[in-house]
Amino acid sequence: MRKLLKHLTDNYLKETILAPLFKMLEAILELLVPLVVAAIIDTGIGSGDTGYVVKMALLLAAFGIVGLGFAVTAQYFSAKAAAGFARSVNGALFRKIQEFSYAQLDKTGTSTLITRMTGDLNQVQSGVNLTLRLLLRSPFVVFGAMIMAFTIDFDMALIFAGAIPVLALVVFGVMFVTIPLYNKVRGGLDTVLRTTRENLTGVRVIRAFHKEQDEIQYFSGENQSLTRQQKKVGRIAALMNPLTFVIINLAIILLINNGAVRVEAGILTQGAVVALYNYMSQILVELIKLANLIINITKSIACGRRIEKVLETEAMQKDGIEKNGFEGYLYAVEFRKASLRYPDAAENALSDIDFTAERGSTVGIIGGTGSGKSSLVNMIGRFYDAEEGEVFVDGLNVRDYEIEALRSKIGIVPQKAVLFKGTIRENMKWGNENATDEEIFKALELAQAKEIVEKKDGGLDHMIEQGGKNLSGGQRQRFTIARALVKKPEILILDDSASALDYATDAALRKSLKTLENTTVFIVSQRTSSIQHADKIVVLDDGEVAGIGTHDELLQSCEVYKEIHNSQFKKESDGKEGVNNG
Amino acid sequence: MAEKKKNPKTLLKVLGFVKRYLFFIFLSMLLAAASVAGTLYIPIVIGEAIDFIVGEGQVNFAAITPLLIRAAVVAGATALCQWLMSVINNRVVFHVVRDIRNTAFDRIQELPLSFLDRNPVGDIVSRVIADADQFADGLLMGFTQLFTGVMTIAGTLVFMLSINPWITLVVVVLTPVSLFVAKFIAKRTYNMFKLQSETRGEQTAFIDEMIGNQKVVKAFGREDEAIEKFDEINLRLEKAYLSATFFSSLVNPSTRFVNSLVYAGVGLTGAIAAISGGLSVGALSCFLSYANQYTKPFNEISGVITELQNALACAGRVFELIEEPAQVSDEGNKVLGGTDGDVSLHDVCFSYVPEKKLIENFNLTVTPGQRVAIVGPTGCGKTTVINLLMRFYDVTSGKICVEGEDIRELTRESLRSSYGMVLQETWLRSGTIRDNITMGKPDATDEEVIAASKAAHAHSFIKRLPDGYNTVIGEDGGSLSQGQKQLLCIARIMLCLPPMLILDEATSSIDTRTEIKIQDAFAKLMKGRTSFIVAHRLSTIRDADIILVMKDGNIIEQGNHTELLNKGGFYANLYNSQFAV
Repeated sequence: MRKLLKHLTDNYLKETILAPLFKMLEAILELLVPLVVAAIIDTGIGSGDTGYVVKMALLLAAFGIVGLGFAVTAQYFSAKAAAGFARSVNGALFRKIQEFSYAQLDKTGTSTLITRMTGDLNQVQSGVNLTLRLLLRSPFVVFGAMIMAFTIDFDMALIFAGAIPVLALVVFGVMFVTIPLYNKVRGGLDTVLRTTRENLTGVRVIRAFHKEQDEIQYFSGENQSLTRQQKKVGRIAALMNPLTFVIINLAIILLINNGAVRVEAGILTQGAVVALYNYMSQILVELIKLANLIINITKSIACGRRIEKVLETEAMQKDGIEKNGFEGYLYAVEFRKASLRYPDAAENALSDIDFTAERGSTVGIIGGTGSGKSSLVNMIGRFYDAEEGEVFVDGLNVRDYEIEALRSKIGIVPQKAVLFKGTIRENMKWGNENATDEEIFKALELAQAKEIVEKKDGGLDHMIEQGGKNLSGGQRQRFTIARALVKKPEILILDDSASALDYATDAALRKSLKTLENTTVFIVSQRTSSIQHADKIVVLDDGEVAGIGTHDELLQSCEVYKEIHNSQFKKESDGKEGVNNG
Repeated sequence: MAEKKKNPKTLLKVLGFVKRYLFFIFLSMLLAAASVAGTLYIPIVIGEAIDFIVGEGQVNFAAITPLLIRAAVVAGATALCQWLMSVINNRVVFHVVRDIRNTAFDRIQELPLSFLDRNPVGDIVSRVIADADQFADGLLMGFTQLFTGVMTIAGTLVFMLSINPWITLVVVVLTPVSLFVAKFIAKRTYNMFKLQSETRGEQTAFIDEMIGNQKVVKAFGREDEAIEKFDEINLRLEKAYLSATFFSSLVNPSTRFVNSLVYAGVGLTGAIAAISGGLSVGALSCFLSYANQYTKPFNEISGVITELQNALACAGRVFELIEEPAQVSDEGNKVLGGTDGDVSLHDVCFSYVPEKKLIENFNLTVTPGQRVAIVGPTGCGKTTVINLLMRFYDVTSGKICVEGEDIRELTRESLRSSYGMVLQETWLRSGTIRDNITMGKPDATDEEVIAASKAAHAHSFIKRLPDGYNTVIGEDGGSLSQGQKQLLCIARIMLCLPPMLILDEATSSIDTRTEIKIQDAFAKLMKGRTSFIVAHRLSTIRDADIILVMKDGNIIEQGNHTELLNKGGFYANLYNSQFAV
């Protein structure tokens, strides 16, 4: 927690100290109230002095006004500290996540990161706010009331000293028993939620198998067990108020009883007994507040730990210093016995990858699902680092490059066609901030996307919704290709990015990519038709190279390639294909 | 779900669910009354006792002791009532919510697909889970606090009036001030909260977009731009949070301030009354303790009412779901005996929305054992045909017949169980691999399950999982790859061997080598059975008996592979383009 709290103490130390301080001042005033009331009873009523009573009542009202001032000041400081704290932590989190490597992103999962930045942080923020306001106040009032009792009468105060631990035992006992039970309820709720979700996403399958009745039974079973857990925790939590009520009242009875004896003996006044009675009531209110606060703090600490874990993650990749490789070097990309292993994986995702890609050539990467195609191309931009062996770009080890400089050479079209909320132009400018409309249209044309833009209202100013929801899959894919082309990359990587295109558009795209000179193109695909005209084809099988060569060479020499090809062109390999090639 | 007008009858509907527990509610009210009476009575007893402690040598022990015993007994009884009341309230609320959830879930099973397709899953889930939960919280709070709160106010008034009407007047006049203050602040801060939640929403959306696609951000080196934009939103959120939180947190100190004024007022008037002999010291201390108790429920009740309104709004959203019209009942329909796969479509017209016609005058006759393939560009209505065959949607006009019977006159169960369906979007439920495979045939033996998995080429990867067929997979298949999930869905069908088969891009995520093997298995399986296949890869449908080429909802070509190629139309173009460069 220390690292997280630094965000609070470093920038908002003043607020962090002043907020509880003013809260404490307010509490002191509250503690003085019973003394004033005692004075009214003993001095005012006792001597029948109306003027004194009025003065004391005005004093009580003045306490109220000053207390209001203290409280408002405290609220302001605590709100300010909490607001600034959350901003500071959230900024740090966002920056940290920007530093994450692909491997770290895979391991953590983006959805947890999002929860931590939103839900978890909100919880911590309100925890900080509440803590600054109440954590010091409640114990202060409880112990303050006891100390005040001691100033009135030592023996009577012992009743307080006895009652407080018993009360604390009840309050915290109930809390510690119920917290794990509440977690169970959360778990039960999650199960019910999952089943509901599953039934909605799988509605076609469930109805196809006419499982509706089974599902209803299953759900009502889960729902029943949730209800049972809720009732169980409810029964225990419901004990807190009645038990504290009984304890406080017993303490009050004891107070009156012993007070009676001491008043009789002349040690204590009637007003003092009333004051003690009031202090006891104050303790009850504060203890319940304190219990709620502690529940809140426990939750905040749990969330804070989760946030801190993200902040503590060390950036995995060390940046190099070189900005450029060797100009004019024959090979744009070289893999030298490179292997890749994902964190916590038992086996290599890629082993002994060894091949070269000449400048300006087209390289096809093919293989079945899970054969490591995407992993391979992601190593070029150092999105994943080789476990063993090396990857070279322009004759220089990728580890020696400044990562930013290395990635500026590469244009990637990812498997999942993602676009961002904003105009088409803004999306295209992801490739190059300074691109002119002319350059953008050129890229769109190459990507077979020019006509889509022309048909949209506003052309380049057409708004794309978050995730590109207002575009079809094929349109999105063509835009992501254009976005990479706007960059005018030295190396262009198409990671299975034509899957949503029909064959005709796919073919037109490949033809237009051929016109790019000086750009080394990597095409990842499952279809041999997409890569058969590449200068070099790398065939992957289960993370290993099964063959390297041209289409014709591989058909002769590589069993895996032949199988893939035949599976797509069954019975056609006897010549028809040649005809269609026209 | 269409935004509906706020239904004033929501409360009545809630009462409909509560009705069953009327006895318990009655009991809870009795207990609440008892515990409030006890809570209020104790200060009186204590006050009386204090009056017997006048000063040195003036203490009447004989009078005090029975009073204290009475206080102890009342305290014990009150506490018991409080606890029983909470337990009963818990019971009623959780049972009501359970019943509402069950009803909502039953309804989901009966809602037409057109409704479920139109409404986002997240929205419906949040109605059944989050809204129902909020409703429970609100209802529980309402039950426990609203009633006791009102009782406390009423009881306090009665007790105070019985002791001294003038001091009571001070309390009654001053207390509502705190309500006004609270209301005044709430009104002023509403806009600040709105701004805060809007800014927070904006930030969440931004985080969602950027972190959700962090890899793309990195690939394009946009980290700095993202940070810059994030900081800008973050700073605005800080400001919005500060003003909303600070100004709204004024409610508490302000009402406390009003309360302290009430307290001072009671002290003043009470003491003056005591001096003139109209009030005992014990009664004054009792009054002071009431002054605290009387103002508290006011603050609570205003909170409870907002909470209850919120709860009703949430309940309204759940009821909207429950009241959606169900699909047409198939009660009394004929049960489809057996079928050899004789399917025919007569002049079928269909559209999802009336303004946009999709399928028009579609005719097709399929004889048993035929393979029908449906091809065409994305969005041309291929999947719609499947929706109609399975009767997920009903035709707008025309009819679809199986064995000569209009499918609208058959039970859904008998119709659907004669089809085996594998969709592109795989669906697996959390549970073991075996549970998932045996979905269509829960009593299958191990041998049958393994045989089906082998036919689907899933056995080898299942075998390698930690617990084999008993491996538990998470929601939506958890860590399985898309291809593995499709293999499991295929195994599921291989196990129950229905007379007809529907494959909607069923092998799209499986590499082509495995696909060929699975197709051979299917070919064996489907010998003599009718099948409908939707496919992207044209290589997979070449052997079909009938190929339907669809474009914009219409069947533009129909025939077998050779016929269509020779025709040189749309299909031929589509087919040849995959070999072009």
